[in-house]
Amino acid sequence: MPMGRFFILPLLLIILFIVGVLAALIFQVSPAEIYQAVSSPETLFALRLSLITSLLAVSVCIIIGVPAAYLLARRDFFGKAAVDVLLDLPLVMTPLVAGVGLLFLFGQKWLGGTLAELGLHLIFTPWGAVAAQTFIAAPILIRSSRTAFEAVNPRYELAGQTLGLSPFQVFFTVTLPLARHGLLSGTILAWARALGEFGATLMVAGATRFKTATLPISVYLNISSGELGLALACSWLLLFTGFLLLLTVKWIGRSRNPRAPIGGI
Amino acid sequence: MTAVSLQQISNFVLKEISLDIAPGELLVLIGPSGAGKTTLLNVLAGLVPYQGRVTFGGRSADRLPPHKRRVGYVFQDLLLFPHLTVEKNLLLAMRCLDLTRGEKQARAEEILDLFRIRGLSDRLPEALSGGEKQRAALARAVAGRPKILLLDEPFASLDFRTARYLRQEFKRLQKRLALSTLFVTHNLREARELGDRIAVFHKGRLEQTARPDEIWFTPGEESEFLEKPNLLPCRNQVSLENGLVQVQWAGFNILVPDEDRTFTHLAILPREIYISPLPPPGPPTNRFVGTVKEIREKEGAVQVSVQVGTEILFVEISPDHLSAMRLAEGDRVHGILKLRALRGCRIAAEADDVR
Repeated sequence: MPMGRFFILPLLLIILFIVGVLAALIFQVSPAEIYQAVSSPETLFALRLSLITSLLAVSVCIIIGVPAAYLLARRDFFGKAAVDVLLDLPLVMTPLVAGVGLLFLFGQKWLGGTLAELGLHLIFTPWGAVAAQTFIAAPILIRSSRTAFEAVNPRYELAGQTLGLSPFQVFFTVTLPLARHGLLSGTILAWARALGEFGATLMVAGATRFKTATLPISVYLNISSGELGLALACSWLLLFTGFLLLLTVKWIGRSRNPRAPIGGI
Repeated sequence: MTAVSLQQISNFVLKEISLDIAPGELLVLIGPSGAGKTTLLNVLAGLVPYQGRVTFGGRSADRLPPHKRRVGYVFQDLLLFPHLTVEKNLLLAMRCLDLTRGEKQARAEEILDLFRIRGLSDRLPEALSGGEKQRAALARAVAGRPKILLLDEPFASLDFRTARYLRQEFKRLQKRLALSTLFVTHNLREARELGDRIAVFHKGRLEQTARPDEIWFTPGEESEFLEKPNLLPCRNQVSLENGLVQVQWAGFNILVPDEDRTFTHLAILPREIYISPLPPPGPPTNRFVGTVKEIREKEGAVQVSVQVGTEILFVEISPDHLSAMRLAEGDRVHGILKLRALRGCRIAAEADDVR
């Protein structure tokens, strides 16, 4: 393809751009400084909080998102197109704006007050981070789960029922295992998104060291206060976990279709 | 063994179908595509809505959801669960049985042996051949001790020889397991080989039910898609004393079993006629001589059109038989109409051009 020669330049540019950013993050401070910052109590707290909140958020996403995705994949109902658009809205919404919305919603007396009476304080607490991450990550999980369910031939479910399995048993023994690759990819992508969530979390949970500072918020706090080492340590941890999650998703895509080149998920 | 009864079943395809399946009976449903055969299986399995009554062993099944009906359904596309091994497919179908884990395992092994797929128990469906998949699907369908077995053209995608072999094996197993069975096909050979009875479907209606050897000799609109017998106009009917009747067809004397009635035509299936380039040995009964007009292969068999006087006779032979005889169009052939296979029938004058 003679055109390829001309198109290689834009590709090189984008590769250089990404590599440049990575290099800037890596070579900004010495490895010894980074090591010290990574093992600092603040970074370790942020890491722990990030893992806990993001895992909780993903769990909520799975419990709510998987059944919702199944319904969307299998049933047609009035207003389905509108529901589709609504579910995708958080994907294109600026997280900061979503955060403001969440803040106002949970700030209402009738909702925030009721939840507080039940012992669940969302505003400016780690629970707020869970709520914000759930809001942002759920559409990602729903989208890929729905695609995964749509790819399962519904006739397998009929076959399961004729074999004496109740619709619930069919869902857990036939449909879920058949959709597992797509569900797992969706879960990991949603987790990665929750882990890196900043804007909405900042609005709902606030930015308090050793209280609501997840890894991205810790980066923001430390850059603001000139603690470059700590900021970079948190950035590295985010980068590393993101990279690991990305590799997992690619690996799932490959194990589903061993002949496919690395890339498709 | 369970008797199954359908009464006045109607829905978006079916029109007032009433049908009884005796305990252990193998009933073949035959008809062109779109006739409603598969829909009837789906009614029994509870997968489609219907009006009317379905009973299993005298008990109404109308309000039972599919998973409580205890049917063993082999779908046309088999639908073996691709994420489970053959054995796990069977074990999943046994979940509803009140057995211990060990008993289920033992039953699974017994069924795998019965269907001769024990060696494949650890394989995923994608690693099975077409015939092996059929066996696995059949094994899975009987694993849950169904009250009735429903099979939707299970051998349709197989090559001719494998299908024939599996049919024979299936018939043997069906009798051994004594399972009431509904078997859907559009293949006449299959219907004849398998059925205790055959039910003919057409445009959502049940047109006739009869034993396999009876169904062909009922000329009429309903059988238009079935293999037609040759209908040979005959005359000069003379009753003989030995339980036979002699008639004349195309200038040849033909003997027919006496059925105490006069008839206008002889009916004989194409596969019941013997032809050969040389005069065959044996008694000179029911012989004729003709010329090969056309040779056509279809569905694993060969149809030979033979001109006898002014009549055209259709003869069905196997491809092996054809190549052994080295028959070609224009050849002279000697033939025999098998006496046992001949029937006399009365057809009104306008039906003469049925063929």
